[in-house]
Amino acid sequence: MLLAVDAIPSRVSKKIIGHLSIVGLCATLVTLIWFYVNEKTGSLFNGMYVLDTMAIYFKIFVVVSTILVASMSIDSIERFPAFKGEYYFLVLMSALGAMLMASANDLVSIFVTLEFTTFGFYILVAYLREDSKSNEAGLKFFILGAFTAGILAFGISLIYGATGKLILTDIAQEIGEPSAALIAGFLLLFAALGFKIGAVPLHTWIPDVYHGAPTPVTAFLSVAPKGAALAILLRIFFVTLSGFSAEWVWLLVLVAIISMTYGNIVAIAQRNMKRLLAYSGIAQIGNVVIGLAAANKMGGESIMFYLWAYLFANLGAFAVVISVAHVINSEEIEDYNGLNRRSPFLAFAMLLFLLSLAGVPPLAGFIAKLYIFVAAMKAGLIALVIVGLINVVISMYYYLIVVKKMYINEPSDPSPVTISPIMTVGISVAIAGTLILGIYPKPFIAWTVDATQMFNHINFITMTQSLTLPFGG
Amino acid sequence: MIDTWLLPLILFAPVFGAVALLFVSNQQRFLVQMIAAGSSFISFILSFYLLYAYDHTIGGYQFVQRFEWSENLGIAFSLGVDGIAVPLVLASSILLFTGTFISWHIKDRLKEFYISLLILAAATIGVYVSLDLFFLYFFYELSVLPMYLLLGMWGSHTKSYNEMKDTKKRDFVGFILNFTSNSKEYAAMKLVLFLSAGAVVALLGILLIYVGSGLNTFDIPTLAKHSEFSGTMATIIWLLIFFGFASIAPLWPLHSWSPVGHAAAPAATSMLHAGVLMKLGHFSIIRVGYEILPEATRDLMPIAAVLCVFSIIYGGWVAYSQNDTKYVIGYSSSSHMGYVFLGMAALTYVSLTGAVLYMFAHAMATGLLFALAGWVYDQTHTRDIPSLGGLSKKMPFATGCFVVAVAASFGLPGTVSFIGELMILLGSWNKYPVQTIIAVLAIVVTLAYLLRMLRGVFFWEPGKTIPHETELKWAHVQDTNGFVNRMPLLVMIACTIYFGIFPGQFIDVIGSSVEPLLAKIHGGTESGVLP
Repeated sequence: MLLAVDAIPSRVSKKIIGHLSIVGLCATLVTLIWFYVNEKTGSLFNGMYVLDTMAIYFKIFVVVSTILVASMSIDSIERFPAFKGEYYFLVLMSALGAMLMASANDLVSIFVTLEFTTFGFYILVAYLREDSKSNEAGLKFFILGAFTAGILAFGISLIYGATGKLILTDIAQEIGEPSAALIAGFLLLFAALGFKIGAVPLHTWIPDVYHGAPTPVTAFLSVAPKGAALAILLRIFFVTLSGFSAEWVWLLVLVAIISMTYGNIVAIAQRNMKRLLAYSGIAQIGNVVIGLAAANKMGGESIMFYLWAYLFANLGAFAVVISVAHVINSEEIEDYNGLNRRSPFLAFAMLLFLLSLAGVPPLAGFIAKLYIFVAAMKAGLIALVIVGLINVVISMYYYLIVVKKMYINEPSDPSPVTISPIMTVGISVAIAGTLILGIYPKPFIAWTVDATQMFNHINFITMTQSLTLPFGG
Repeated sequence: MIDTWLLPLILFAPVFGAVALLFVSNQQRFLVQMIAAGSSFISFILSFYLLYAYDHTIGGYQFVQRFEWSENLGIAFSLGVDGIAVPLVLASSILLFTGTFISWHIKDRLKEFYISLLILAAATIGVYVSLDLFFLYFFYELSVLPMYLLLGMWGSHTKSYNEMKDTKKRDFVGFILNFTSNSKEYAAMKLVLFLSAGAVVALLGILLIYVGSGLNTFDIPTLAKHSEFSGTMATIIWLLIFFGFASIAPLWPLHSWSPVGHAAAPAATSMLHAGVLMKLGHFSIIRVGYEILPEATRDLMPIAAVLCVFSIIYGGWVAYSQNDTKYVIGYSSSSHMGYVFLGMAALTYVSLTGAVLYMFAHAMATGLLFALAGWVYDQTHTRDIPSLGGLSKKMPFATGCFVVAVAASFGLPGTVSFIGELMILLGSWNKYPVQTIIAVLAIVVTLAYLLRMLRGVFFWEPGKTIPHETELKWAHVQDTNGFVNRMPLLVMIACTIYFGIFPGQFIDVIGSSVEPLLAKIHGGTESGVLP
């Protein structure tokens, strides 16, 4: 079954390309939904490349995020000094890579698709070649990314050496008693993917790269590759390593706790909006890892639901950052003072996005966090849930600081902030997504449940035996 | 027909009002005011209908509406009221309706103000009518954020603690947490962080109930019927639920956010805050703790009986030494909430019914006090009692209302507070005589600080060195005038006095739900098994 990745636009003009790519992506989206509705599934190259419900789910995720990113890029591109047309090509190539990642089902295709995605980003991050910050970010990202690629390759070779298999499902049958090489291999694999999603302790690139990269690229980088990397993580942990969940849970619990706490506490001290969102992103990934650590089907569902909430809130927040930066040429939080008076729409949008990230009802983030906590509770990880809840309160603080600046403080320059129509549409879609997921999540939850069918037959040896809640009666 | 949609209408009328306001410009002031008033009026009228339509001969949950929300997680949007919720829904919608008029003259961003106020009121009503733990928490958490905006955007700076040289006047529990700031932003942030912290503690309890019951449902009636918690786990969950929700109640020593929040908030927000937001705590403890964990409630409620004494004495003592009118009322609210906890702790029919009735009564009385304190502040731009005084000549109507409010607040016979207070004290006497005696004595303290404030603001005039000094000082001060300013005060006074003279319907309605609840709680002791 071939994939519908047909949106590689011709290099015609500048602005039109942007619109063209959005149209192309929409066509891809429709095709994917058609695939999903008609239950078209299959695999390619002897199972290296699969198209199952989960793959389609993540592909739709990537496509939607790319559409939003493309719509918020159109204005920014006009301001780029050069290479306006290539931008969309690179974005779409990265999106293609991320979509392929969602289908990768063996170690080689994981490696290839991951690098494919990242190559586009190497260029995109350093796109503003006159800007030293962008160059710095690009270099940092490239060096660390290349290093990670090495780690990934090393991990893959260790696993292949130990099992002689490459396909994830085959490895699961081969593992038996894990050898030291195999454990090291999986740890390296996890490290490489942890780098992609930006979990502590592999987060160090995130703030600088987010800060330096052009904002639409940052927005894209913060969502699509993370989603795709999580698809791979889900396959690895829930399929290949499902028999050893008792061992790896501790690793994930640790990563989750440190990511959340570190991200939230450091975010408090930030003065730059993009850096704030970078650290909040690290904390959000910590939340996602809770779902991974839950090691049950519900954990998978909750992660996939969470990603949608994260997509709309995060992309929306970056879209507001872009709009504001176009007018006031600043991304400092201080300059958001009195935004409510300068642009009620942008301030309201930002309010919703930040509160969704914080997990306040009736927004998407609330349901998503609750879903993850319920999954973790069912797995008996009470301590992790407690840490997660404490972090919710911590995160309220810095999100509300921004809200305070926007709503309570008076602007130093009261001139209105105007935004372009396409930006308004993009932000409105993100608002709609945040609200609909929060108020009527039923179909989406049903969709995640359906998309994780593949985890149903997998037998988790969870720790529920050892950690059973001490309920009497 | 109306019965089917009664609760959704009460709940969503303010929400729709808020949504409609999003599409109106701030320039069209009159339209903004009309939408806010209209949507709150719908809730107001229907809540009265609810009180009389609730059939107390049957009891239990009535007007139940259920919409599946997520089968996978076991969440349903389930609405329904029992006798305990009815008076609180009524209090919320009365205060919303009157609050809309109290804030009629706000100049800055009126539309945003009304949106926040309507969402806040809808959230509190939502808690009272939710029969699903998830939605109870959903609305509970939803009520916090509008408070932040209301305090931060339209609030006023509180008086600095550091300026107060007299250490007796410092609220030392609050002072520990009050590092340097005393601004409205500080008050707003403190409120949100306190309430969020309390909320997540309660959420942990809720999640433990959800997972521990193994029923895969958040439905409160189902959980109350079928879940079985006992031993350590029941204790842990109960403590989480109790202290999580008690932080909003606010029970000593978790109260320090509350007076600061009152003082910073605009009048209508203080009214809703003291009137109904604080009752979310008591209500949620009853709804979750009492219904689902009756055994633990019986065993652990003495904790509340001890802490409530601190609330009563401490709140009264600090209120007496405050010079800021809103601080006085704020601490008096903390003190009065102690009475509610006493009534709840005693777990007798009379005391628990009285506690619920008192919640309604307190909402009316405090609403009046805050509305008038707000009016005085708007006119004189000060809340400092020593710099006020002699206002009775300039605002006779407001003074009259304030006298009624003071009477209602300490429980003069003829007001609904009297009945509530009396029932609490009578009901608790057998079980907690010491606490009851302290509570009775504390009424004297209440009287003392309220009369001190009444005298200081309206009657007392400093030594007349210059003739007509007071008249000159308050030359620009106006009395409450016109329909918009007087009507809300009269509505609250009417409710206080009407239900003070005819509390029958209330007591029947509340009692119809209190009785089975107590039977469930005490059932265990008599027969040795849970019903």
